[in-house]
Amino acid sequence: MDQVQYYDVNQIEGRSMAIILDNGKLETISRNNTKGAGIRALCGGSWGYTSVDGDADLEAGIKNASELAVSMNRSTPKEKIGLGAAAKRKNGDMPVIKINPEDIRTEDKVELLREIENFAKAKGIKSTRVSYSETILSTKYFNSEGNEKEYQTVKSGFSISAVAADGGNYQAGRESRFDIAGYEIFEKNDPYALAREAANAALELLKAKTPKGGAFPVVLDPELAGVFTHEAVGHASEADLVLQGDSVLAEKLGKQIASPKITVIDDPTLHEYGFYPFDAEGILSEKTVLIKDGVLNSYLHSRETAGIFGGESGNARAQGYAMPVVRMSNTYIDKGDASFEEILEDIKDGIYLTGSRGGQVNTGEGVFQFNAEKGYLIKNGEITDLVRDVSLSGQTLDILNQIRMVGKDVKLHAGHCGKAGQTVPVTDGAPHISISKATVGGS
Amino acid sequence: MAAGQLFPNNVISVEEVKAGIEKALKLSEKWGAAEAEIVWSIGESTAIQFKKDVIETAKRSTNAGYGIRAVVNGAVGFAGTNIMSNLEETMKTAIDSAKVMEADPSFKSFPEKCGGYKPVGGVFDEKIVEMSLGECIGCAADMISGVKEIKNMIPTSGGFSRSVSYFLIMNTNGLAGEKRETTVSGFADVTTESGDVSTAYDYAISKKKELDFTAIGKNAAELAKKSLKGISAGAGKMPVIFHPFSFSDILENTLASAVDADNVQKGRSGLAGRIGEEIANPDLSVIDDGTLEEGIASGPFDDEGVPTRKTPVIRRGVLSSYLYDSYTAGKDGVKSTGNGYRHSYAAAPSVDLSNFIIEYPQSDIIAETKKGIYIHTIIGAHTANEISGDFSVEGRNAFLIEHGGLTKPVKSVMISGNVFEMLKNIDGAGKDVRNVGGVVTPSVRISEMSVIGE
Repeated sequence: MDQVQYYDVNQIEGRSMAIILDNGKLETISRNNTKGAGIRALCGGSWGYTSVDGDADLEAGIKNASELAVSMNRSTPKEKIGLGAAAKRKNGDMPVIKINPEDIRTEDKVELLREIENFAKAKGIKSTRVSYSETILSTKYFNSEGNEKEYQTVKSGFSISAVAADGGNYQAGRESRFDIAGYEIFEKNDPYALAREAANAALELLKAKTPKGGAFPVVLDPELAGVFTHEAVGHASEADLVLQGDSVLAEKLGKQIASPKITVIDDPTLHEYGFYPFDAEGILSEKTVLIKDGVLNSYLHSRETAGIFGGESGNARAQGYAMPVVRMSNTYIDKGDASFEEILEDIKDGIYLTGSRGGQVNTGEGVFQFNAEKGYLIKNGEITDLVRDVSLSGQTLDILNQIRMVGKDVKLHAGHCGKAGQTVPVTDGAPHISISKATVGGS
Repeated sequence: MAAGQLFPNNVISVEEVKAGIEKALKLSEKWGAAEAEIVWSIGESTAIQFKKDVIETAKRSTNAGYGIRAVVNGAVGFAGTNIMSNLEETMKTAIDSAKVMEADPSFKSFPEKCGGYKPVGGVFDEKIVEMSLGECIGCAADMISGVKEIKNMIPTSGGFSRSVSYFLIMNTNGLAGEKRETTVSGFADVTTESGDVSTAYDYAISKKKELDFTAIGKNAAELAKKSLKGISAGAGKMPVIFHPFSFSDILENTLASAVDADNVQKGRSGLAGRIGEEIANPDLSVIDDGTLEEGIASGPFDDEGVPTRKTPVIRRGVLSSYLYDSYTAGKDGVKSTGNGYRHSYAAAPSVDLSNFIIEYPQSDIIAETKKGIYIHTIIGAHTANEISGDFSVEGRNAFLIEHGGLTKPVKSVMISGNVFEMLKNIDGAGKDVRNVGGVVTPSVRISEMSVIGE
């Protein structure tokens, strides 16, 4: 009985660097060079996991993880875990990195960041901050079933923030871009324009009023609608949360849970920030349709949850060599057929919420809260006054059913998602969408 | 204090590490650094996780690595590695980075050698070092059975963890310090087994082994049960009582960054230039205390080797000090308050809270409140505007207060406000002081806040 039925090993080696310019001063240049391994072993229904920093002795690690699994299973026996089999899939394309960031001199990177920062120093801007980061990671995977794979990724990103002040009133504008890309990230995006946008947003917000809170028709821009998709829909689709009774989408497979205009997709094969060729269980990645025309179509799976639900795995991810967890990759609402103008006309009076300061969700009760960067009052189908400190809250299923129109302009935005104490790169996105009624917080 | 005794499975000799650090510090001068600093930390942790009522995973992790700062012309370069043999190469990397940077006249120096550090009691417990896997599993099982003491309640997820860590710092000023600490913690997330859904969580952390794990499970389950069948709170301005969970969450996302000297110096704090000003109710005092016995963030020195101390941040309503690390202190020409902390060896230090203690005269605040809202936890505190202090968050496990008692649970309530106004409008504190991950606070009542129910 006390035999380990499976083990796997993730070995990660990485080099990263970060540069921070703050108020014109080069504040930080930091570099890290790290490696390590995370090892899992499964005995009956118990997982043992060990991680070791630096040059790891893998044999000893496998033995250690196995001992943990075996002694756990002895002291708390339970039903055996059957891992789902790997679905038949093809190797996808790897992203092409045009400019290796390590080929660019640090001095030149600093110079570029200085130029970017200058564009954020508009009149009335009190402080600015520009940061850049690059990470080169190599991942080696093998397991007890003979699966062995490896890949390397290059990721880079930058962010710009500007703070405007007027007396005790402080407002910040922020723009960031992260991508599975090398130094060409500065060609794919116009950092100067983004710096100007960050500054303008901060300055505009100084003059904005806080709206009266209440229930209103709302229009969400692609960034905020993306955050809603990720936080409220995506997390509730993670099969581990469904299994532990922590998802409002439990027992809803095959049921209409949203307006028929809504299709939600998670796609790790897209060459976006959430890309990976295979997941942390060595399973080749594939697109998953979570909601199809309003009907809940699939959860996201690890091999363990796929084994239980009979689904397909490929969404087990880990930060570095931490223990893999069911995660999203690039998650978005698919495009609809409405133009932005049509959406506004249809809504007539309401609030247009744009940008995101982040949000949080209780997946079990299906309750969420997001803060928009800013909002505009919509009067008679026209965008009018700017408002600030606006947040959106409500019940996930309620909002999904109240979606009136879905735009054609899907945009993805890169960010970092936290779960189980681990952070992984993701993108989320959507087109513009309108919602008949939602709770907007204000003063 | 041999790390070998702390980590029986680890073969790394601390004496060898120290010798290696001394050599690398000497080499740094030869390679052009005016000053250098090396930290080495090593930690070992065990975590037991459960999903529903099944204990599923046991984890054991060790992490160890070097973090190096090198100074050239007052510019500070940072490099880190967890590859033990890379120490000298990493020193070179840090120096090379510093050479690229412009001179920084604000940098004074790394902390000077300290005559002797005063130990803090209650941050290291031999019993945590010795905990067996079986004992760790037992703590997790206690949480599960605590949940099940309440009818129709079941855990969704949760876990136990223990950690033992050792931290060593040496710099070219001759400063040398080592500290060690232990921690145990438990977390339980619960839901209803059938019928209407209601969720809640509870969490506790301690430097000593004695922690009531059954109570963690039971508290969470009782709270979820009490929160069943919430009603709408309506909308309006009313008194709000924040449980230590929600109050500490707001402070950590607003006040903490406002008193960070780095933000003050950069014009990113709503409290810049306001030392000596009355910014809060005169009965309120806030103290940052890195010397607090058994404190979660206590230690003999911070992560730059500066002795910890007690810093009154708000004294009887008056803003009396910001929190400093050695760099920001040098810039302002004051002494570091011992608040230079690192997330790990792989990160340069920056200003952070140690133990943040909220003091206000305590009474039976719920009993003294005729009508209002009680907010146990909030979601979305991290979306607050750190500079202006404005926030709009969703209250969870909230209750109506009527005639001095919690009457009905409230579903979905949004609370909007501003932390600086809150500090002025505090008009009561409970007797339920709790240590929430370093913020030590009672429940706090705010005389009036904007509340929007669903």
